[in-house]
Amino acid sequence: MSAPGADFREGYVEADGFRVRYLEAGHGAPLVHLHGAGGLRLTPAHDLLARRFRVVAFEMPGFGLSGENTKTRSMAELASTMARAAQALGLDTFNLMGTSFGGTTALWLALQAPERVPALVLEAPAAIRPEGSEPPSGSPEEMARRLYAHPERLPALPAVDPAVRAKTQALVQRLRGPGRDPDLEERLRKLPTPTLVLFGTLDGVIPPAMGRIYKDLIPGCHLVFVYDAGHAIGAERPQAFAEVVGDFVERHEAFVVSRAETVIHP
Amino acid sequence: MKVSFFETARYCAPQALPSEWPVPSGAYDREAGARAYRDMIARLEYVEELGFDWVSVSEHHYSPRILTPSPIVSASFIAAHLKKIKIALLGPIVPQSNPVRVAEEIAMLDTLAQGRLVVGLLRGTTNEYLTYDLNPAEARERTDEGMELILKAWTEPQPFGWQGRHFQYRTISIWPRPLQEPHPPTYALGTSRESCDFAARNHLGCGVSYGSFEAVGRATRYYREQCARYGWEPTPEQIIYRANMLLAETDEEAEALLRQQPNQRPFTMRAGVSEALNKLDARNIAGEARAPIVSGALPTTFIGSADTVVEQVRRCRDVVGAGVLDLSLYPPGSSDLEALMRALELFGAKVLPRIRDI
Repeated sequence: MSAPGADFREGYVEADGFRVRYLEAGHGAPLVHLHGAGGLRLTPAHDLLARRFRVVAFEMPGFGLSGENTKTRSMAELASTMARAAQALGLDTFNLMGTSFGGTTALWLALQAPERVPALVLEAPAAIRPEGSEPPSGSPEEMARRLYAHPERLPALPAVDPAVRAKTQALVQRLRGPGRDPDLEERLRKLPTPTLVLFGTLDGVIPPAMGRIYKDLIPGCHLVFVYDAGHAIGAERPQAFAEVVGDFVERHEAFVVSRAETVIHP
Repeated sequence: MKVSFFETARYCAPQALPSEWPVPSGAYDREAGARAYRDMIARLEYVEELGFDWVSVSEHHYSPRILTPSPIVSASFIAAHLKKIKIALLGPIVPQSNPVRVAEEIAMLDTLAQGRLVVGLLRGTTNEYLTYDLNPAEARERTDEGMELILKAWTEPQPFGWQGRHFQYRTISIWPRPLQEPHPPTYALGTSRESCDFAARNHLGCGVSYGSFEAVGRATRYYREQCARYGWEPTPEQIIYRANMLLAETDEEAEALLRQQPNQRPFTMRAGVSEALNKLDARNIAGEARAPIVSGALPTTFIGSADTVVEQVRRCRDVVGAGVLDLSLYPPGSSDLEALMRALELFGAKVLPRIRDI
């Protein structure tokens, strides 16, 4: 098996004066992914989703290889930059998936341009958090213990350049917003977008019980628990994650209707 | 100490039965079956009158020894006939059940019984996996996942989907919910490290059975250690010990009764089947391996006169830490109902009042 993302090719687009890096693979309906606070890292779930969709995973300005971002002032602004980046790739409409920190960005983007987002997927979103919750940080081992339910089953995380970590942490702290944002939550009540919220049952960063608040607020929201996964669901249970995400993106609320075949011996 | 009576709906076969499990359905006598359930209710009315705290039922299949393939059905019937006693549903076998169905039925029964339900969830004995074609190698994982899903179905207020390894649902939102909040007192049953870990992680009780005090004590000690690791301490009532008790007027009489007991299981499987099951199943006591299939009769760990048994209960409390005894009284599994009623009477008069404060 090749490393996750082997089929993805790299590209850059201009948006709001940023040179935005992205990784892309697959054909079909576009699925844009916005990463978590740790930056862009492809998982086996990206490969599985790229078999069904044209997957475009952006590196948001200020993360990873990009320069320090001192310009973006709010999550809403970051969302509008990412909408422009998608536009620059020719994507008028696109399914949108956001992970953790990127889940908040994705929510803002869908609120700003609902007509451009047919379906929204939030993987362990960070838009609603209990008081005192902090994004994972520290050594790769410490990060893995926060992100995964079973770190021993996964390859070690790469070491992060301290300079990259410093610039990213400052950006995340500036943009991530409060644990409860009454303005955002009020707007979620009118979000028209079919939305899938996923939490791992063993999420050690954001309690999975936060999921029910999205379900309560967003009219077309579906909540799915991925058993035995931690915060990084796509990395820990890629098949389970990609199956339900793919089904939801294709069928929206009809995804509740099973198409599983149970005939054993026809 | 709380006391539970383990009810097995004892069946009195009018003629000798084949000794192989599964026992052929054709050997079943319908009238004897109807009588077994009538007697069960009469017996349990007496059990309630004697002051037992719980009556427990279990799930077993294809056998005249324990006539309760669906413990939820027996528990419902018992709950409808008895008024005060708590009903301990110490089935259902989770890996061969639909967990959402189990969550719904238990919620419904807890409400029907006005909150008198106690629940134990378990992996089941190895032979049971033949009943619904379950691969024994998958039983442990299916149990863990099924138990977690049952707890989630009871407690999650919003409709949710479940993307598991063995179970998948897109929408779960049960009605009714259990009457007891957040759910009935629940135990993970078993001596395995996995079962104790699950119970500790989810703040559940732990139920152990049949082994010596020392053997099951290893499991309950491990369970308490794990609870401490998760930052909580179980109450005595969160540890159940199911055991056989042979009670008689004197120690000698009880020992004589024990000698009359068969030392083999009443029904055995063909050797090729046992071996195949043994290869795929793995069992342990707090991490220490043990054989999946116990071929001898289940041990009797309480035996003697009332005085002796009371002392044994005291020792059990010290070694096992159990706050609930779930008892099979003389003669365990046999169909000598008169002897059983005498044992119940003796237990109610001479043992029960003296172990309350242990």
